Amino acid sequence: MLQFLFDTLSRSSDLALIALGLSLVYGLAKFPNIAHVQYAMLGAFASVVLQRAGTPLALALGMASLLAGSLAVLCNLWVFSRLRRQGPAIAMIGSLALAMILVAAALAGHGASPLAYRLPLSAPWVLGPLFVAPNQALAMGVTLAVLLACTWLLLGTRQGRAMRALACNPPLAAAAGLDAERIIHAVHFLGAALAGLGGALLALNTGAYVNLGNDLLLPIFAAAILGGLGNPLGAVFGGLLIALAETLVTNLNIGWLYGQPMAFVPAGYIGAASFVILLLALLLRPYGLFDREVRRV
Amino acid sequence: MRIRFGITLAIALAMANTAHAVTLGAVLPLSGSSASIGEDQRRGIDMAVADINAKGGLLGAPLAVKIEDSADGATGALDAATKLHSIDKVPVVLGEYSSSVSIPLGQYLVKQGMVHLNIGSSSPAIRQIGASSFSLIGLDDLSAQFAAKDILGLGYRKVAFIAPNGAYGQGIDGQFKKYLQAGGGSVVAEVLYTPGQSSYRRELQQMQRSQPDVYVYSAYGQEAAVINRESFELGISKTPWYGIYLSMCTADTPAQIANGQIGMEVASLGSAGQAFAAEYQKRYGFAMKSSYSSYAYDGVMLAAAAIAQAKSADPAKVIAALDQLGASFAGATGKLALDADRQRTEQPYDKLAYEGGSLHAR
Amino acid sequence: MFDFCLHVLTLACLYGLMALALNLQAGYAGLLNFGHIAFVGVGAYAVGIGRLAGWPLPLSMLAGVACAMLLGVAVARLGRNLASDYWGIATLAVAEIVRIVVLNQSGMAGGAQGISALPGPLDALPETAQPLAFAVLGLFAVALAAWLSARLAASRFGRALRLLREQPALASCLGYDLGRLKRSATLASAAVAALAGSLLAGYTHFVSPDYLLAAQTFLVWSMLMIGGAGRVAGVLLGTVLVQGVYSFVPLARDLLGLGSETVGALRLGLIGAILLLCLLWRSAGLLPERLRTLP
Repeated sequence: MLQFLFDTLSRSSDLALIALGLSLVYGLAKFPNIAHVQYAMLGAFASVVLQRAGTPLALALGMASLLAGSLAVLCNLWVFSRLRRQGPAIAMIGSLALAMILVAAALAGHGASPLAYRLPLSAPWVLGPLFVAPNQALAMGVTLAVLLACTWLLLGTRQGRAMRALACNPPLAAAAGLDAERIIHAVHFLGAALAGLGGALLALNTGAYVNLGNDLLLPIFAAAILGGLGNPLGAVFGGLLIALAETLVTNLNIGWLYGQPMAFVPAGYIGAASFVILLLALLLRPYGLFDREVRRV
Repeated sequence: MRIRFGITLAIALAMANTAHAVTLGAVLPLSGSSASIGEDQRRGIDMAVADINAKGGLLGAPLAVKIEDSADGATGALDAATKLHSIDKVPVVLGEYSSSVSIPLGQYLVKQGMVHLNIGSSSPAIRQIGASSFSLIGLDDLSAQFAAKDILGLGYRKVAFIAPNGAYGQGIDGQFKKYLQAGGGSVVAEVLYTPGQSSYRRELQQMQRSQPDVYVYSAYGQEAAVINRESFELGISKTPWYGIYLSMCTADTPAQIANGQIGMEVASLGSAGQAFAAEYQKRYGFAMKSSYSSYAYDGVMLAAAAIAQAKSADPAKVIAALDQLGASFAGATGKLALDADRQRTEQPYDKLAYEGGSLHAR
Repeated sequence: MFDFCLHVLTLACLYGLMALALNLQAGYAGLLNFGHIAFVGVGAYAVGIGRLAGWPLPLSMLAGVACAMLLGVAVARLGRNLASDYWGIATLAVAEIVRIVVLNQSGMAGGAQGISALPGPLDALPETAQPLAFAVLGLFAVALAAWLSARLAASRFGRALRLLREQPALASCLGYDLGRLKRSATLASAAVAALAGSLLAGYTHFVSPDYLLAAQTFLVWSMLMIGGAGRVAGVLLGTVLVQGVYSFVPLARDLLGLGSETVGALRLGLIGAILLLCLLWRSAGLLPERLRTLP
């Protein structure tokens, strides 16, 4: 049971930061940014390369996050600020093209083989039935700390209030004197910095590899949608629910159905579990689970 | 300026067309989720071209291999094959890795009367591609049979099996189970995982619950690295681990985790195989990532030998030469011994163990 | 060279059918269907499963269209009370579920390896005539679909769809049943897309779960958006352009004479760069929709 809870938390912490970043940007920019997961891939590469070159891990993680954020600001300046005016579909296709370019850059720069941190291998901590890897604990701890900081930033500061105001009602926010352009840049930076950090932490387990972003695309979008697009903290819970569904499917012994001691849903269906949960959730709550926006008919 | 550029381009094109007497084609997954295998196949091809050209080339001129990206899909592979057929006019095409790409690729090539050399797909369905498709790689029934026999010989009976949920994993899973059960063993847990996940902890623990004697796996690149790391972190690596194609399973795994694993691999004990492994190490600065590079190397070597024997690059003559050569040709992966279906019947494998940071015969 | 151009033309026609089908939903009605490829996949797999079951090709194709329309009803029903972007992701989820199911059905659908040696519609012709004949067949199909599409756009139904896109509340006030409009658009789209899928399977003589990847949906979407959603000529131009870029980029690489290490990265990067430049240059599409405005 303990292991079950831990696996669920660990998987949701893998998704949390990147999904949070996506949802944050979606709230303002109002288009699904496919390139977002590529920021995570580049963040992973940046962090691993820096660490292997001798930078301390904490510094490498921070620099990777800053690099990803800066890249996103440039992309916003050159690409999205122009495409967004033509509607979300155009901006989405633009982000798709951008994602191709970013993947190509990684493929040309490093090649297709994975690249791991140069860290000493430490034995897992054994807590009763629970096996915890130190790296994993580190990743989960950093994720939790950053999530708390983001919550405070969004809910407890002037800047956070400005971001939320702009997301909810742009004309009103502009009328109140908010500098929309500046806030949009700040949010792009923050969203991508979160993605870059998320990718860099993910690489503690998987290493950095070219397809890291593409592999994340569908689970991250499912998590963000499940939580309600534009509700950043909802995305974290969306990720948690998806992790729960996946872990449940892999752990549920359905041997009694077949009269055998042990049988499981084939692991190939694990990806379907998150989408089934997503469809069910949307049938029950059409605007995501944590949507509190007031709608008028 | 523009005119001069045009002239340079025209000269470059003319040179590209005349400099090589023979150009072969290859379609590999160079982008997408199998790109790390495609990259290793490319290494093998580049080495073969360098070797042949160092010995004076083919039919008196340097050999070239035109390498195209399949983008890991059937339509991408067909685009590339059509280009190789219609524009580059190559007689022989090598490729691909996934059998869900090699089969449509092979079907197309056979229809055009070109030679298809399968250097990476081991699904038994490859057998049905058609009359000008040759397999240099032993199909799954060979490798699975060898692994099952080896595992039973080591005294293991209850086996947990894990492989990626793709054409390769599904194929080897079915064959392995068949041979293991025929020999008296049983697969007590069977996981075909979704490739590209950030973690396989849950799949590993599911297998752990059936308390197997041995874990059997076949994975590559980042997935193999994650599976090995997590099995270590979960304490599962204390039970023996057996890798089918062990060198690709452990290529990206820290030595401390991989130590103690056993498995099988395409034999590289012959002189040609050892020379290839040494040359690979020298050229790229790391040990062979997988045996897919040696199959690709042998593919180019076999095609060159057939063209040299036929003294022509005409596909029909090359096919006739291949039919003759196939029975006796021996390369870096050992003797081919192609059967009447042009499939490899003999595949020497080595029994290996990972000790002290590298692979050894056991 | 001629054969290669025929191949590119044929693929452009098949993708053109898919893009025209998507245009019915996304261009006219403004429905964000990110699971469009599911309809194509159903059509393609109908040919494959039909072969395993020993059905004649026309029957398989008809069955594929019928199944795709059933799926269309289900997907449209899902959209009854979802906002557009949530529906978009819901359709993507449906398409992924379909893909994962066929991937794991090794008995009925060939599993990851797919189904090979499929029958094509023109197998009776001699081998050498087939590429040309298939290109002609593709052109004919796409011309028919384009004509029907343009007729539809000009009809009362087409106007209703555009009203649904621009002013759903007004459309509702004018007495249009929005649910029914969305359903009709989705059904028509599903039928055309399934037909395109059957033809693609017949052309490649093969079908596998890779045909159902989400990336394929995005490819069709990029054809639509780069050309100009909502206008038949724009959609066709976008299709030709994007398919052309995908097919001819390897030739450009040969001209540059670069080594084999760069093949994968260069192909991906050039395609991305050309698409992005097109979007930045004409961000409303190359041939944007002309909307009639009342003074």
